[in-house]
Amino acid sequence: MTTSTLSRTTDARRPATDKPDSRRTLLGRRRRERWWAALFLGPQLAALLVFTLIPLGFAVVLAFMKWDGLGEKSWVGFDNFQTQFSDPTFRDAVLNTLTLGLITVPVGLVLALLIAMALNNVRGKTIYRVIYFLPVVTSSVAVAVIWQMLLASGDLGMLNNTVHDWFGITLPDWLNDPDWVMVAIAAVTIWSSLGLNVVIFLAGLQSIPAHLTEVARIDGAGPLRIFRHVTLPLLSPTIFFSFVVAVISSFQAFDQIYVLVDPDHNEGARTIVYQVYDLGFKKFEFGASSAAALLLTLMTVVVTVAQFGMQKRFVHYES
Amino acid sequence: MSFSRAAKTVAVLAVGAALAATTGCGGSSGSGSGSGKTTVTWSTWGNPEELARFKEFEKDFGKRHPDIKLKLQAVPSYSDYHAKLLTQLSSKTAPDVFYVGDDFAGKFVSAGALAPLNEKMAAPDSKAKQEDFFDGLYGGAKKDGKIYGIPNDANPEVLWYDKQTLKDAGITEDPAALNAQGKWTMATFLEMNRKLKGADKAGSVFYNWYGSTYSMINGFGGKVYDGGKFVGNTDPKSREALKALADGYQNGTFLVADILPEGNGSDVQFIKHKVGFAAGGRWMIDTVKKGQPDNYDIVPFPSQSGVLMPQTVGTSFLALNKDAKNAQAAWTFMSEFVSKEGQTLRLKGGGNAVPSVKGADSVVMEGYPAHAQTFVDARDGGFANYPEEAGVPELTAKINELLLKLWTGKVGFDQAMNDLGSLVSGKLS
Amino acid sequence: MVTAIRRRVGTVALHTLLIVGGLLMTFPFVWMLLTAFKGEGQMIQDPLAWLPDPWRASNFPDALDAMPFGRAYWNSFYIAAITVVATLLTASMAAYAFTRIEFPFSRSLFVVFLLTQMVPTQVTLVPLYVMLSHFGWIDTHLALILPAIANPFAVFMMRQFIRAVPIELEEAARLDGANRWTIFTRIVLPNIKPGMAALGIIVFLGSWNSFIYPLIFLNSEENFTVPMLLASFKGQHGGLDYGMLLAASTISVVPMLIAFMIGQRKIINSMAASGMGGR
Repeated sequence: MTTSTLSRTTDARRPATDKPDSRRTLLGRRRRERWWAALFLGPQLAALLVFTLIPLGFAVVLAFMKWDGLGEKSWVGFDNFQTQFSDPTFRDAVLNTLTLGLITVPVGLVLALLIAMALNNVRGKTIYRVIYFLPVVTSSVAVAVIWQMLLASGDLGMLNNTVHDWFGITLPDWLNDPDWVMVAIAAVTIWSSLGLNVVIFLAGLQSIPAHLTEVARIDGAGPLRIFRHVTLPLLSPTIFFSFVVAVISSFQAFDQIYVLVDPDHNEGARTIVYQVYDLGFKKFEFGASSAAALLLTLMTVVVTVAQFGMQKRFVHYES
Repeated sequence: MSFSRAAKTVAVLAVGAALAATTGCGGSSGSGSGSGKTTVTWSTWGNPEELARFKEFEKDFGKRHPDIKLKLQAVPSYSDYHAKLLTQLSSKTAPDVFYVGDDFAGKFVSAGALAPLNEKMAAPDSKAKQEDFFDGLYGGAKKDGKIYGIPNDANPEVLWYDKQTLKDAGITEDPAALNAQGKWTMATFLEMNRKLKGADKAGSVFYNWYGSTYSMINGFGGKVYDGGKFVGNTDPKSREALKALADGYQNGTFLVADILPEGNGSDVQFIKHKVGFAAGGRWMIDTVKKGQPDNYDIVPFPSQSGVLMPQTVGTSFLALNKDAKNAQAAWTFMSEFVSKEGQTLRLKGGGNAVPSVKGADSVVMEGYPAHAQTFVDARDGGFANYPEEAGVPELTAKINELLLKLWTGKVGFDQAMNDLGSLVSGKLS
Repeated sequence: MVTAIRRRVGTVALHTLLIVGGLLMTFPFVWMLLTAFKGEGQMIQDPLAWLPDPWRASNFPDALDAMPFGRAYWNSFYIAAITVVATLLTASMAAYAFTRIEFPFSRSLFVVFLLTQMVPTQVTLVPLYVMLSHFGWIDTHLALILPAIANPFAVFMMRQFIRAVPIELEEAARLDGANRWTIFTRIVLPNIKPGMAALGIIVFLGSWNSFIYPLIFLNSEENFTVPMLLASFKGQHGGLDYGMLLAASTISVVPMLIAFMIGQRKIINSMAASGMGGR
């Protein structure tokens, strides 16, 4: 694909170059383009190779071994994967992880988009922006204390007591009930990551040339039509980025859970990454831990590839 | 703004950064060598106050041994500490001497990461002889007669009680007084818990670990291990104890400290007079001082007969890296750290533990709590988990995980007993 | 007239919603600020109280005295600053190559980039540690800075922003004989400033908050970063001194707020400066 596109564009743009040399210049240009690519990619590529790909290769090999982190390693073939597949805690972890993603990704992105739109041109935007960013910089200890108090059961649980007093409805024990804890975790995840998504969307909105929306407005388009036909298409690359990243990071959920509940005390809060951590650093089964991590990677790849497949239909790019 | 200016700024920043980074590492790594000193690295976890005590010890040690330079690697939290230690051990960069928590000792011993200490301890000039320490405290650090770690200090788990709360619940007898008369029985303790519950308070708060659970089993006259076999789920009295615990946790007579929300944990409940008894070690002094200290006292876990039974003791060990670069200097540090003098220095003036070494108990008898002697008594006959359990990696953690499901009512009692049986027999075989 | 009223009602409704939402966003932060002034016993006596009683400002100097915060502050700051500058530059360079330069396996390489982000760091931690210790970088800040620069998310984000830059701008410069580097610095970078500012905020926060890597890679106290010192305040038994802990936390979030303010201003101002809005 690459070479043909390249030759076509070059030919089209430079039709008048002297004929005998055109093939040589083309080759030279192509080679030069590769040099430029290498130059631009070099730093990131080198860092990625050394600090991510090599350790990753090690982890892949480890997935086929048995190793307690201290003693000898031994090959076990696909045993680690089989153990994970037949392990009910791994299956539960997959379900918990998917539940979290299914709640946080759509709700989190739609909320962030709405807030970014509202903040883009509202009066007092500077102060609002700071306010909506505060959860991102609130210390995790404060987050833990406040949310645990809000969501607790018993005499201190602010939310459940208020709802019970006002509406007579008894809400679940959010943090201790395995069936409901993911909902609580999802709520806190959305709350705490909203600010970053708003920042990204705001940057995307700011990159939209103002004259385009202005032209649409002069043409008599209402705000909804402008959003649908101008803003949304131009923002779609940013939305797509946030969408992909949100899915990947929801699959990697770990830190924000640890703040709220200890998955050792509530199996409903076990995610795949917790399983990876638990197997490796608490149970000293590094092979099994790697296998679980690779399965998670595989799962993420499948979903991301599907997202990139959808991209052609929904994402509008310049040129 | 022009981008050539930006590029210049970037370049200047990058160069400055690189310089800062190199000087940063040069400063830290260069100082140890070259000065003719032997460097011993060691690691532990701890909060700022604990770390301050360790630094005090280091300073004192430096005066006695100017040829040995100590380098402490401190990690804040207990679980992070062990994750880091494992990472270091797996790449052979672990410190020469390091702390090991009692629930991790079995793993590191069976993985062969720790050096056996018997010979060094037995040497004539040794400052830490095997018999200097209370034998029950070696726990998972002792395997087949070999010692792989020395208890740093000890925390016998006792019951702290709130005099005010007990009185409010209509309890007229003082637990410590009963204990002095040999009348501190499980029946009395349970009756007090019932009264507390009747007065709209919780009876007791326990952490979900072998300490509290096995003390309750023993207090019912039950056994956990018998002749090397696990009988906690079959012995009728043990079952009775576990049933009483499960019922108590479910009806609110007992609380599981581990799952209380942050900001309203066991400490808060205890200081706010919401619970009569709180199981804990000497470190609880810090907590009760935030209320009215005179309102609190301690009593051992009750036995069936009223006579003091063996109490469980929480502890941690100091271990020598199998690959320590300077084993002799490392041992010098290590043995002085756990010796009578070392422990006295570390624990005096309201320290958070009880000495694990004989002859240093004056640091406990500083006048608080009123029955501080109970700490000493509990430690003397105490034990750091059963050797059967301590020697098997992961077993204790698995048992706790399962029991928590029983306490919170996620599995029924009979189911839990069956699961417990198959879990332990699977791990022990 | 009717539209004016409707617009007024709409504005009021919008502000009401934003304020209600804002309260939900703000109250933990406010609680953090207030609790930083509470005395040791108050969290125990009355955990639900909002206002400190009495106010105790000494938590701040006490927290600063308890651990070497000055050094850690400098460490965290310069690590984050270098990481931000290096990441912004290299990530937008790589993104430019992926977007605008034709080279073999471009797409596959991008997929590999993304793939590495799908592996949890927990599983690469041990091999990375082994490697860094071979390099002799353990207990140095290089172990934090260099691995952090490899940031496929940043490349991805910049790629999305560069793709939104009109290609005609670039082609015009090309006809004028500008080379790739000139185009990148003169045309592309000015047009993606809002994105770079947003990315700068994100990278700064990530570096400033980073906990696991410093915890495992650093040994000496003089090299510690702010989150490591904060963690030590939590104590072994769920320590109760929330006043001091949250005073320390409050001190530690200030640089993040500043970074946010600067970045935000860049996001807004860059529009006018780059000529993007007027085009």
